[in-house]
Formats: sequence, C-alpha cells, structure tokens
Amino acid sequence: MKFSHIADCHIGAWRDPKLKVLNSQAFFRAVDISLQEKVDFILISGDLFNSALPGIDKLKEVVKKLKMLSEKKIPVYLIPGSHDFSPSGKTMLDVLEEAGLCINVVKGDVFNKKLRLKFTVDKKTGVKITGMLGKRGMLEKAYYEELDRENLENEHGFKIFMFHTALTELKPAYLEKMDSAPISLLPKNFDYYAGGHVHIVEKKDLPGYKNVIYPGPLFPNTYYELEELKKGGFYIYDNGEIIRKDIVVKKIITLKINANTKLPEDITKEILKELENQKIQDSIILIRLYGILESGKLSEINFKRVYDYCNEKKAYFVMRNTSRLNSKEFEEIKIKISSSENIENSLIDEHLGQIQVKSWDKDKEKSMIKNLITVLSSNKKDGEKVYEFEARIKEELKELLEI
Amino acid sequence: MGEKGIIISGKFSEILVRQKHDKEIELGELLICEDKNSKILLQVYDLLYGSQLSSLNLELVSGMKLEEDSELEFLDEKIRNYNLALLKSLITITNKKVISSKSLPKFFSSIREVKKDDLSFITKPKNPLYLGKLRSGSKVLDVDVFLPGKKVLSHHILIPATTGRGKSNLANVMLWSLLDENYAGILVLDPHDEYFGRNKIGLKDHPNKDNLVYYTPESPPPGQRTLKINTKKIKPGHFNGVINWSDAQREALTAYYRRFKKNWIEAVIMEQDTGMQFHEGTLGVIKRRLISLLNLEFYDNKITAKGVFDTQAGENTIKDICADLEKGKVVIIDTSSFSGNVEILIGSLITTEIFNRYKFFKSQGLLKNKPVISVLLEEAPRVLGKEVLEKGPNIFSTIAREGRKFQIGLCAITQLPSLIPRQILANMNTKIILGIEMQPERQAIIDSASQDMSSDSRAIAALDKGESIITSNFTRFAIPIKIPLFDEFVVERLAKPDAEAELEFEGISLG
Repeated sequence: MKFSHIADCHIGAWRDPKLKVLNSQAFFRAVDISLQEKVDFILISGDLFNSALPGIDKLKEVVKKLKMLSEKKIPVYLIPGSHDFSPSGKTMLDVLEEAGLCINVVKGDVFNKKLRLKFTVDKKTGVKITGMLGKRGMLEKAYYEELDRENLENEHGFKIFMFHTALTELKPAYLEKMDSAPISLLPKNFDYYAGGHVHIVEKKDLPGYKNVIYPGPLFPNTYYELEELKKGGFYIYDNGEIIRKDIVVKKIITLKINANTKLPEDITKEILKELENQKIQDSIILIRLYGILESGKLSEINFKRVYDYCNEKKAYFVMRNTSRLNSKEFEEIKIKISSSENIENSLIDEHLGQIQVKSWDKDKEKSMIKNLITVLSSNKKDGEKVYEFEARIKEELKELLEI
Repeated sequence: MGEKGIIISGKFSEILVRQKHDKEIELGELLICEDKNSKILLQVYDLLYGSQLSSLNLELVSGMKLEEDSELEFLDEKIRNYNLALLKSLITITNKKVISSKSLPKFFSSIREVKKDDLSFITKPKNPLYLGKLRSGSKVLDVDVFLPGKKVLSHHILIPATTGRGKSNLANVMLWSLLDENYAGILVLDPHDEYFGRNKIGLKDHPNKDNLVYYTPESPPPGQRTLKINTKKIKPGHFNGVINWSDAQREALTAYYRRFKKNWIEAVIMEQDTGMQFHEGTLGVIKRRLISLLNLEFYDNKITAKGVFDTQAGENTIKDICADLEKGKVVIIDTSSFSGNVEILIGSLITTEIFNRYKFFKSQGLLKNKPVISVLLEEAPRVLGKEVLEKGPNIFSTIAREGRKFQIGLCAITQLPSLIPRQILANMNTKIILGIEMQPERQAIIDSASQDMSSDSRAIAALDKGESIITSNFTRFAIPIKIPLFDEFVVERLAKPDAEAELEFEGISLG
C-alpha cells in the first residue's frame, strides 16, 4: 500500500499573481510525483484552497488535475480545513465531491448525543479512512469532545485519521499563541495520523499515537515561512516506510542585514553586494532588514536600485521586510510624542466638537476640557476630610461650569 | 438555655469551668460566656476530674467497692463529683464586631454551647477558599468556613499531618472550591495521581472543568495533555535542589550553557567543545547524570527521548502551563511515574518560569490584575528541608522567602514539619493542621503558629480523620473545622446538573 499525504496547499493564497501561481504549481508537482510513485490514493489534510469559494481560474486548474487523477483511478480523500470550510455549507469542496473528483471523509451520525464518525474504505487497498474537519478559531475542539472514540478505536484493519488541528504537544515555540488541542482528543489505535493546519514538518510517535505527521505546506504561505522553510513538501507512505518529498518550485535566497551603525546608502550597497555574490536568476529574493539606522530615513534606502538590479538579473520575485527596522529620527519623534501632555492634547484635538454646548467654540471647549481634567485630578490635601474634599471639588466645578 | 457549666476559677489563659452533670464537654469544644453587651468565645483545651471528697476518701471508697463488692453510693453524687474543663478565651463579640479578648469573663458566669447565631461574624470573604464546616469538639456546626483565598494562597499554606489523616481529601476539597473561581492559578504536582480522578470521583467531575488542566506522561484521558517537555527549555539553574553538582561540574554546566545556549544539553551529550578545559571525568559524570535523569538514549551519535523530556516535542509545554495558571486555572501534573528528582525538576522548570514572569509583571505594574499563583507540593522537606537548603537555595525556597511580593505562594504538604527551617515555617502564614501524633512535629507547628497554640498540643494529637485546626494571619483565632469527605462533597454538589445544550455538528455530513 502506498499513499501520498499532502496538506495546506492554500491554492489562491498569495495576493501577488507571481506568487499565487506558485501555490498551484506546487500542487501540480505533488500530484505529478504521486503519479510517478504510483500511489494508491492521495490524502489532503485540509486547506486545499485558501477559501471556501476560490477564484474560477484556480478552480479550473485544480479540477483539471483532480480529473486526471480520477481518470487514472487514484482517489483523493480530503477533509475541509480552517480556510476552505464554510459553516453555511457553501464550499467548493462539496461541488468537487459531487462531481466525483474527491471524497470528503468527514462523515458520521449522532448516536446517544455523541458524534460517531464513519469510515470511508478505499476500495483498492481496504484502508479505512476517517477524519475531522478544521474550523477557524479551533471550533472543531467541541466536536472532538463529543466524539465517540470507542467505535473508531475498536475498528480493525489499517486505519488513517485525518485532522486539521494544531496539537499542543507538537506545537513549535514560535507558534506558542496558536490555538491548539491536546493529542488525547484524537482517537487512539490508528496506523497513521494525517495532520494539517500547522505549517511545520513533523513526524512523531507519541504514546498511543504512532505516525503523527504534519507535512507542512506545499508551498510557503508567508514571508516568514518562505524564509524559514524555503520549500514545501509532502510525505509518501510506502508499506510502513514514510518518505519526505520536498517541492522546490523556486529557489529562495534570503538576506538578513543588520542596520545598526549603518547609513541608508551603506545598506543599499550591502544588499547589492550580497546579491552580486549569488545566482539570482529565477529565484525569490527575500531581504530582511533589522536594527536601527545610524541616521537617515528608511525611505532613503534605494530599493528601486535593488529591484532594478534584480530585474536585470531576471530574479523571479523580490520581497523586503523592514518591520524590525527603525531609524534614530523615528525614535526621537516617538519619544517626543509620548509625553503625557502631548498625548492628552492630541486626544482632545481628535475628539473636539463632540460636546454640543451653545456659545462654546472649539477653543473654549478645549480650555474647558483641560480645566475639568485639572479640577478632577486634584488630590485630597493633607488634613482635609473626605467630605471637605468632595465639597471643595464640587465648588470648583460649579465655578468652572458657571452653574 | 443549653447551660453546660459555670466558671469557677482560673486565670486569663486557664479558665476553669465546672461541667453540668448531665452535659458533656469535649476537648476542642467552643463555648460561649454571655453578658448583656458581649459574648466571649471560649475553647476547651483540657479536661479533668473534680470532687468534693479528699483524695484519701476517694481512695478508701474505691477500695471498698473493689475489694468488698459493697454497693456504696455517693450521697448527692451530682454535687460532690464532677468534671472540670480548662478553657481559653478566643475572642470577644460585641454587636457583631469581633475583637481579641482582653478581659476575663465574669466570675461564676454560666457557659453554654455555641450556636450558629453566635458566629454570624464568620462570613464568606471576597475570593473565598472553602475548607469545611466549623467544628466544636466532635460536633459539626452548620457554618461554612472560608478563608480569603487570594491573601492566604500568596502568603503560603502549610498542611502538616500524619499519613491517613486526610491531606489529599483536604487538597481535593480546596481545589474543587478553587475551580469555581479564577482568582488563583494552582500548580499541583501530584505524585499519587489522585486529584484528577482518572478512575474515580475527582476534580474532572467539576462542572467548571474548563478551569482544570491535566498533564500526564502516559495515556491522557480525552481532552487532557501528554506531558512532554523539550530539553531546550532546561537551564542549569533548574537542577538546584534536584541534583547536587560539585563545583567543577557546576562550572562545566555553566560553560556549556554559555556556549551553546538552549542546545547545551545536546552539546554535553554529544561532547561538543566549549573552548574551555574540563576534566574528562567531570564531563563524563555530567553526561551520564543528564542522560539518566532526563531518560534519554544516546546511540549511534543520536539522542533519542524515551520519557517526558523530549528533543522534539513539548516546546510550549512550560509556557502553556504558565498561561493557564495566569488565567486562574488549576493545572495538575501527574508525576506518579517519576522519581522524586524528576518531579522536583519539572516543578522547578514551571515554577521558575512563572516566578520570572510575575517578577516582570510587577516591574511593569501589571501584577495586580493577575491571579495569585500557588504551588501545591507534597513532601515539602524534599525542597524546603534544612539539609537540602544547606546545600544552596532553590526556586521553592526563594518563593517561600519572597514569593508573596510577587503573588506567588506555596501550599506545602508534609508529615515532618520539623525538618523545615523555622524561618520558612514562620513565613507560612496559614497552617491547616490535621492530626499529628509525634510531639516534635506538633511542637514545630505550635512554635510557628499565627495564634498562641501553646495549650493546643493535646487537641492537635486528638484530631480525628477529617478534623483540622486552621491557624492563620487571616483569621481571628485558630479555627477548628471538619473537612467534608470529598466523595460526598462532590455528590452533594452535583445533585442538580445543568441541562446541557445539544451540540450541532455543522460541516459534517450526517446520516
């Protein structure tokens, strides 16, 4: 028995058309490799598409590939993920299933208030497949809590459980804030746990759960993923052996430049120098700048020159990330603005005109607000009794408001 | 009206009462001496016989009864022979105000048993921590006893008791009460896996079970978590109180940590070069002890994790636990399958992290909005014992000394409080005393109690299972209580389950 385990294709995810096409290319590549490897079936553990209703062009491409698999009698078993699930039921996955291009294995019934999942049996191999969909905000956790595990765990034969959920035990440090569920929510005694959702490459046995696999995305979906993963991939299960298949649709070159003690022109030169040392043709170039510029502004870094150079050398795509780059000038302004009086003034200016009082113009309103703040922030004096303090404040307010 | 006796003599700390013939006074019983303006709450701490006959006469009469089988009876026996009770004054109640007693009750005034109305000053505080019902001798009064949980937990609790006196039952009742609230995050190191209730009634049955998190190394029940801790999260300091390193070994550990940071354990095992010279034997011992303690396997130049410490999984476990504690949850760590050292190491890892976070919150002025944290630790002398602390401080002793500044406290359970240094015992501002038979252990508690308990040694020794005395900086007197039996307590509270809303399985093809 041989099958492919793919997850998180996110077809249609990138906004830029040049990157958007790479999600699709990665999927085609994975299907082609699976065909070459003569797998019996393909698993897609959620997020085939980046949305429940993908664009027609992307849909057309995917349908074409799924149809090819269908003609070659290679079934595709999938589960909806947090991106391509729709609570209203309007998801393109249903259309694809109706057309016989894939099988959504998340099927079951409710028995004694418990969710009893059913197995989908692969005709050729007899493998029994079931799984749980992924929902945004980990809402599928409630389904797991109501799951009838016994019937799943007692089923005989080679069993695969597909899931689209972050598992607490396997979540990497940089995803600490991501919602997750403990692995104990999953039924035990399966032979393969086909995971998705977390964009990490992980293959692990945990007590009671063997072959818990996250293949990661087929193509990285964020700047960070491009930088860290550099490629996508999936797994092939071949009679007990689990083999990683990397998918490199474009070479990725990452530059990380520390801007501390440097001027904008130094940075420009350094980027160009780094690029000159590499073969950048048909590559995705990632430029991350961090630190604090010695002087000058971020806008003075000549990115146009960098982009022109990359175009000239026929780089495929250039991305820059300056989220952790600051200039000293920017820092100084920030400090000036952060004095409490300035913040107060800017907030008052922002909200002026909301109090409708006849005979008050904006200047009068502003001065009244500032005077009110002064009176109301007054502290009780030493030796002053509480009732005396209250009376004094009331008197001052009456005087100020002329009432 | 319920008169039990009359005050006949004594002094402030030793009020002598003659017991009414047909009434019974028990050790530990609470009694009231009332006048027009106030009531004085008294407690019995000793009982003795009294008689109008001289001891010579008594000996003679008893001899005649024994040896001659005579049917002698005392004339006016009720008058001539009686019981005496020694009482101490606890508090004075005036117009529902409670003050420490400073004067004697009136001579020859009568005393009666305490009633619920007398105790209306015992109210439910803000952030309540339920412990049981007020007890008068062996009688249980229908008065719930709560402590101000936030204060009590951050100022440390000590639960001293001999085996079988109901320590776990008490902890279960306390934790159940805390699951109703979110003012405190409790880390429970559970060496007997007895609090969650895998196969019996336990905290898992609490209606607010979302407030409960359970980590176990093997087969977690559905929804609970497998305990996996990544070796990258361990720092040399976490071994304080766990392993006794020699100076040379400690230096080597520090050197590895400085050079390889979070990968230092891997580097030690792989024998990577730190650039410093260490004796081969020193490194060998460190390597061997780390492999053994962390249950790792090193074969064919590869490190494989066999237990709870893992080189791949568990990167967020410590942070997740701290985050749950900061949400005011009860986090139970099942340490039943670990050696004591591993349990302490795990406790040390989590406690160090939460302590550092709370220190940071304090520096940022954010601490007031955070729940208090309490670490429930069994066999506390393992980390707080005199012998252990002579070898250097550890995170638990640090918390015992300065934790309350950062809203972190210990809830230390022990059979042997005398092994804990007096300074630390005195810092534990609440002691929930269960029965202790050994006199030195009782004395250690009495010497460090928040109230004067110098006359209570006998009462402590006489505590039955489930009976307890609470002495605390946050109570006006040492309160005798009866802790409910956990199983019955749970059944009572679960008598009326809420109707559950039926879940809809949206997105799943049913049928």
